[in-house]
Amino acid sequence: MSTAVKLHTMPSRNMSNYAQKALLNNPFENFKIENYKYAQLHKSITTNLSLKGFKPDFSSFNSFKNLKLSDGTNTDLLGDLNKWNYNNTDSYFRVNSISERPSIKIDLDLHEDEVIYLDLSIFKENIQLFKATELPKTLIINNSNFSDDCPRSIFLNLSENAKLNIIHFNISNSKSFLYFEINQQNKSNVKFLSFQSNNVHTRNEFFASLEENCSLDIYGLNFHNHGVNDNYSFIQHMKPSSQSREVFKSIVKNGAVTNFQGKIYVDSIAQKTDGYQMSRSLILDNESKANNKPELEIYADDVKCSHGSTVSKLNQDQVYYFQSRGINEEQAVKILQKAFLVETLDVIENPQIKEYSYNLLDARL
Amino acid sequence: MLTIKNLHVSIEGKQIIKGLSLSINKGEVHALMGPNGSGKSTLSYVLSGKEGYEIDEGTIEYNGKNLLDLEVDQRANAGLFLAFQYPMEIPGVQTSFFLKTAINSKRKFLGMPEIDALEFAKLIKSHAEDLGIGSEMLKRDLNVNYSGGEKKKQEILQMSILKPDMAILDETDSGLDIDALRIVSEGVNKLRSEQNSFLVITHYQRLLNYIKPDFVHIIANGKIVKSGDFSLALELEEKGYEDISKTA
Repeated sequence: MSTAVKLHTMPSRNMSNYAQKALLNNPFENFKIENYKYAQLHKSITTNLSLKGFKPDFSSFNSFKNLKLSDGTNTDLLGDLNKWNYNNTDSYFRVNSISERPSIKIDLDLHEDEVIYLDLSIFKENIQLFKATELPKTLIINNSNFSDDCPRSIFLNLSENAKLNIIHFNISNSKSFLYFEINQQNKSNVKFLSFQSNNVHTRNEFFASLEENCSLDIYGLNFHNHGVNDNYSFIQHMKPSSQSREVFKSIVKNGAVTNFQGKIYVDSIAQKTDGYQMSRSLILDNESKANNKPELEIYADDVKCSHGSTVSKLNQDQVYYFQSRGINEEQAVKILQKAFLVETLDVIENPQIKEYSYNLLDARL
Repeated sequence: MLTIKNLHVSIEGKQIIKGLSLSINKGEVHALMGPNGSGKSTLSYVLSGKEGYEIDEGTIEYNGKNLLDLEVDQRANAGLFLAFQYPMEIPGVQTSFFLKTAINSKRKFLGMPEIDALEFAKLIKSHAEDLGIGSEMLKRDLNVNYSGGEKKKQEILQMSILKPDMAILDETDSGLDIDALRIVSEGVNKLRSEQNSFLVITHYQRLLNYIKPDFVHIIANGKIVKSGDFSLALELEEKGYEDISKTA
């Protein structure tokens, strides 16, 4: 079974050597590529990554009928192929989706509701999202319940001063592959939570590019009792005085695998950058596994950047403390797991979604 | 209420308690004093049921039951309480939530319904005020960034609301200033009645000025070497452990 993208179908005149190299490094065939190191994609055969000639069908977007949808072209995305400051391999998903799939555009400001729900299972096009205002808005992105294993790609563009709260749910017994890109212009603000639980095999890529005085909070909540759950993030600070805060937390049991690879890149002109990255994993048994790989790449000399990573078992002394107050072990373990994960839910601004997420977490623990 | 006979305990093959016997009746307050490394804290952990301690010999009977047969939470619900020398920090768990969960565990054990919000608020408020614990502290994560004194007050608050039959205070006086020592002692004295008993573990006689014990025991090298009344604590303060252990 072949998983390769057919290179002869690509518009090679628009592709840099760099991008072509990225496509040749197909992680579905080669598991040694550094930024797909733990993803195990070679074990998850994906049959069709190419959607050339696929015509978008807007009739399925009933919930978006007030949105201005237009048939996007690939041209402007292709122009951005070299924007990421990678020293090694690029995102295979990104280059693949840009070169192989049509795009649609959605202007979030044209939607009347405060909460917008985007179900990624109903289309396979690249989605370009735009938000230009400060109006509070929550975007729910659901890539659960997939019946296919085609990767999805989202390109989010925030204009100056724009604000957005994003909650990503990846919570079902299916395979899913996601490329998520955030482009932030000056003074824009993004709060992002990725809620992931019990998937068969996932790879989620989060790319963010920040200009001046931006802020980005990106949180991950992972609770898995099976499957391989792989997260990759790349946050680049391209202009001065922006801050990014990234916290990924995961709990694994019953042989589940969770991976986090994340890099903060600070350009030489991005002085006064404030970057923070923390990945923490709890392993509940001897069969499960957590791989955390934090990275910093800093070319400016007046920045504040820190990162940390922990992998541990549940603290038995804490369990004992609960028990010594009459709380049984099962309940103690459940409370401690929730306590470990729950700070990530603070990112959610909408109270109903917050409550939903609390309940979902309770039900899964 | 609590009868320990010829107890031998080891950790990873090393003997810590070597033939300790102690009997505590309903309504009595016993003080256990001894130098560092004599086995005081080990005894408190063994009584509460902490893992990692090997019982090589001996029996512990609690209210007619074999205490060693019970899990940690079962012992707690049966009325045993250990106030820790170093209470655990629990990030992410609000203090008031923890207290409520502990109360409800006990109520469940007793076949009672969960405590309602108003009743809980009243209960906590009355005890917290006595101990000088503000409502702000109850909203913080349990024991996280608490001062040494606040942690000890938190232990006594838990004890006050759980109303144990048998409370073990493991060096509750360590790290307390004079005012905190008085407040904590008053909390203990308030709970004192003919129905419940205390085992007060301490290095110093100072605490016993506030919580007057009925009996004082001196532990050295894993067993009780001398027992007496409050005057033994005074004697100990004067002569030191080494002298007393020798004459025992």
